[in-house]
Amino acid sequence: MIDVLLIVFIITLFYLSIANRLLSYTKVLAVQGVLLFFVVFLQLNEINTLNLVLIMLETIVFKAVAVPMFLAYLLRRNNITREAEPYLPNFVSLLITTAIVIATILLSNSIKDTHLDKMFFVVALSTIFSGLYIIASRRKIITHVMGYMIIENGVFVLSLAVGNEMPHLVNLGIMLDIFASVLILGIFLNKIGDVFKDVDVEQLTNLKDY
Amino acid sequence: MSNISAYLLMPLLAVVAIPFMKEKAKAIVTYLELLLVAGLSSAIAISAIVGGAEEYVFGGSAVTGPIRLQIDALSAWFILIINIVFITGGFYGIFYLKAYREQQKQISLHCIAFIVLHLSLVSLCVIQNSLVFLITWELMALSAFIAVIFEGDKMSTLKAGINYLIQSHVSILFLMLGFIWVAVKTGSFDFASITEYSQSNPTSVGLFLFICFFIGFAFKAGFIPFHTWLPHAHPAAPTHISGIMSGVLIKIGIYGIMRMLVLIKTDYTSIGYFILIISAISGLYGVMLAIIQHNVKKLLAYHSIENIGIIGMGIGIGCIGLGNGNQLVAWLGFSGALLHTLNHALFKSLLFYTVGIVYQATHTLNIEHLGGLIKKMPHTTLLFLIAAVAICGIPPLNGFVSEFLIYSSLYQWVQNATLVPLIVIIFSTLALVLIGGLALFCFTKAFGTIFLGEPRKKFVHGIHEAPAIQRIPLYFIALLIVGIGIFPQGFFGVVSHATSVLTGNRVGEFAPIQGSIADTLQYIGLASTGFIVLIVLMFLLRKLVTKNRVTTSSVTWGCGYVSPTPKLQYTASSYVRSYSKLFGHLLLIGQKEKPVSGIFPEHAALKTHPYDRLEKSLIDRPIRGIKSFLGKFVFLNNGKLQFSILYGIIFIISLIMIPLVYGLILDFFEFIKQL
Amino acid sequence: MLSLFLIVIAAFFFTGIVVRTKSLASGRKGPGIMQPIKDVIRLFKKGAVYSKTSSIIFQIAPTIYFSSVVMAMLVVPFGQSKGLISFNCDFIFFAYVLALGKFFSIISALDTGSSFEGMGASREALYSMFAEPALFILMGSFALLTGYTSFQEIFAALHIGSYLSYALATLATFVLVMIAMIENSRMPIDDPKTHLELTMIHEVMILDNSGFDLGLLLSAGYLKFAIYGALIVNLFVGMVDYQYAIPLFFIIQFLMAVVVGLIESFMARFRMNHNAQFIVALTSVSLLIFFGAILILGKFN
Repeated sequence: MIDVLLIVFIITLFYLSIANRLLSYTKVLAVQGVLLFFVVFLQLNEINTLNLVLIMLETIVFKAVAVPMFLAYLLRRNNITREAEPYLPNFVSLLITTAIVIATILLSNSIKDTHLDKMFFVVALSTIFSGLYIIASRRKIITHVMGYMIIENGVFVLSLAVGNEMPHLVNLGIMLDIFASVLILGIFLNKIGDVFKDVDVEQLTNLKDY
Repeated sequence: MSNISAYLLMPLLAVVAIPFMKEKAKAIVTYLELLLVAGLSSAIAISAIVGGAEEYVFGGSAVTGPIRLQIDALSAWFILIINIVFITGGFYGIFYLKAYREQQKQISLHCIAFIVLHLSLVSLCVIQNSLVFLITWELMALSAFIAVIFEGDKMSTLKAGINYLIQSHVSILFLMLGFIWVAVKTGSFDFASITEYSQSNPTSVGLFLFICFFIGFAFKAGFIPFHTWLPHAHPAAPTHISGIMSGVLIKIGIYGIMRMLVLIKTDYTSIGYFILIISAISGLYGVMLAIIQHNVKKLLAYHSIENIGIIGMGIGIGCIGLGNGNQLVAWLGFSGALLHTLNHALFKSLLFYTVGIVYQATHTLNIEHLGGLIKKMPHTTLLFLIAAVAICGIPPLNGFVSEFLIYSSLYQWVQNATLVPLIVIIFSTLALVLIGGLALFCFTKAFGTIFLGEPRKKFVHGIHEAPAIQRIPLYFIALLIVGIGIFPQGFFGVVSHATSVLTGNRVGEFAPIQGSIADTLQYIGLASTGFIVLIVLMFLLRKLVTKNRVTTSSVTWGCGYVSPTPKLQYTASSYVRSYSKLFGHLLLIGQKEKPVSGIFPEHAALKTHPYDRLEKSLIDRPIRGIKSFLGKFVFLNNGKLQFSILYGIIFIISLIMIPLVYGLILDFFEFIKQL
Repeated sequence: MLSLFLIVIAAFFFTGIVVRTKSLASGRKGPGIMQPIKDVIRLFKKGAVYSKTSSIIFQIAPTIYFSSVVMAMLVVPFGQSKGLISFNCDFIFFAYVLALGKFFSIISALDTGSSFEGMGASREALYSMFAEPALFILMGSFALLTGYTSFQEIFAALHIGSYLSYALATLATFVLVMIAMIENSRMPIDDPKTHLELTMIHEVMILDNSGFDLGLLLSAGYLKFAIYGALIVNLFVGMVDYQYAIPLFFIIQFLMAVVVGLIESFMARFRMNHNAQFIVALTSVSLLIFFGAILILGKFN
């Protein structure tokens, strides 16, 4: 069952690479949160109950509800236009995402460590690289934050893989989530949209030294 | 023994006699000689297939050692292909060259080159001695060059020919490297010593040797990135030579690779992967560039690269099967590759000949200027249609059979493979399917734009169909194409003798594998026949039902547009626009535009020209770099007599002085050492 | 033999159910279920109008298209019984026979010399080219799972046990339904009701056909839908006895028709530029199915 959920997770990555509207990104983040909730439920049944309940709450409340709502509110408030503006056409993004998944499969095949669950490793690594690719190929600042959330989902999956043996790693994952939310709050409170009057990454190049 | 002497004597006589004859006699003598040599070699080839391998030994000289000629089933297969293509091409060429009747000297040279080309190609398949092989290879390259530059007064033809000659010589360089290496290490020029050498040394040596030979033969065959001469040479050559080049000349490269596979015993699995990956890339690249060409012959040339890619994929999969010990995969892969060699020779030459007829009628090769030719040239259209359907690999014609064999080998290999081979398999399947789809795209464009719709440009002269006698060889090839499609198991039986050479089986061992493949092919043959019968039945049914219905004729529906012109039609470039937009970054399309301006625009123009990105980076840029570097030394070559004498004096002085100075320097070092 | 009869019977009703579902979903009563068949019979009785620009290719292409679809129908099995034509790797024959039909329909569109039809032909060629790899990789995954290579043997040996294989079967159904939508030019790739030339793909290719030829083209379209429905049914009834399999066949075809109708009613058609990437996404999903098959076989890890 876990394998099925993880395969659906990869399909959400493909959907992200061809999505056009920013709201689709937030919806995918919500779906990923729900998927992670079920994966946590099935995988981590050996750490103590309090930690388990905390993690489950965190996936549902944080990832599936709070962060997408926040992002939607940000989009409305800063009057950010609906489209995600990529540098490369969506067709190429899809091919690159597929290539990333295949490359991680090949990479994980050559690792001979028996402690590592290969399926989790593949999903985690592909999510991280896809998140990095999304940050690198989109023009708006808000998509940087969304890409960061995706990377953070990937790290969470990896921490789940070893969660039974090292619960501290899972706690670290939660702290990563809190850091991300502080980042978003930063944008929200400091109204970066207002100050720059332009949500285009190109303008950030004005910060150069020379 | 005496056959061989007769076989060599006849062409010699013909070559000497041709310049002295009158024009009609020239053609007849050339063709007769061709028929005789082809007949003799085919007879020997057929007896080699049916009986067993035959061998002749010539004395040779002290330099070469004894010269062995060996005809086994593999050589026989290629000899038969060469003869079929040359016979049909020669017949077609006689009528094609009628338009050039005045240029007698060039025609003599062309006929001589034709005869020598045929002779050298057939000989290459049987020679087993490295030195003689290299000499014959050189003969073949030179005669092909002479044949290509028939219209040598045009600058572009000459440039294309010289491009071909230079790349041919780079290939000979690699071949020489391999052959001389083996000869130096073993002391013998015979091919058998290659086998001994590779068996007695570690496999990495054999691998390196094979790659050396592979690069040499890959130049000839047209694998990426050694393909850059192909798209220039094919349009420049006269059509019957283009057909022969595509049909046979590039297959000699494939023959060389296969012969080396038999001779060099090394790690088949890694060689297989190497060939598979290069072939998949060649196939995809070839067809992707073919789609955007305007010049029909260039389009067909890029398609040849694609088909060589498909043949290479078959060879690669066969090698991997040999390496894994999976006989079924090896059989399917090699049979598919060998059968596709024949199929490609057939339908590519047919395509070139029909294009030649179109060129003779309209004097243009630009697709965008043609159109609606089906009404004036129905026979040519039918022949082109048969060849186009065949090249896309569609049943019930022959292209499907060879592609089916290669697909089967992939799906058989999938059964026992581990993870990394599985990923290679799935990408090879992806590549093969995409190649098929892109080929369909390309040939619907070519056929639709040239033959269907309305004419896109008015021609001053009338357009006539070619004379019936010129079309005879074309009908023969079309018949073969349909025949292989309907009766594949017979041809597979012939091919399996050649495959057994490659896989190293004996007659008794391969019967069960051959039997199972033949059964499947029989089903395909029956299904294809049934398909053709079904089409005919449906057609008759339709005729019956609509016999009494009213049929009227009107203009094409134009959505109420009041002044339709042929210019409103879809052009070839517009047809491929959806494709070129998607892959625009990969392809290199130069564009010159004079934009539309103002409310009542006067004149606007758009010109696109397709280039080859690999050619630009591998050939054009380095040549420019070398030219600019060497250009700095141009001052040395200023043509004045005094400077030449000065260079001579400097050379003599250095000849005398350098050993003296060297001795002085050695003494100096001795002196310092003693201190 | 059995599959032949079943597919032909399903073809009679399939498109009618789709149209009826669309009408009911938009609040109308809609035409009867046999209406598409009545349309075809009406067309068979009519005469034809041929354009002066077109040639004999235009007149023989619908016949060849119809024959190719009939030939493909003969390859499809049903559960334990083979199709009339069955041999190793026969799905390759299936796909390429359909390609012959596409070849001729494209060149007959180019034959009319109209820019509309050229546009439709160009798009159709591109999209069908991208849809083929998905089918081949899907069949490759099944060949890997079951160890056989012919249609009938693969489906007979396919059995769904674990969660992962359920997921794979669902994904495979999704891919097959999408391929069916692409091949028959329905939403969300192409809108059969649009009739705005700039937005049509398949409809515009048959704009100039009339009479008996148009009837042949429409009936070939209905048959194609039923063929893909039969393929989807085969995914599930491989090991079931005939007395359950035959009713299951009709139920699944009915369900599929309703689902197609609902998709057409509630989804807008994609922007033309986005069609290509959607179709390539299908190939990525079938690559995932292949990966899932590798997982099931335990070759990974």
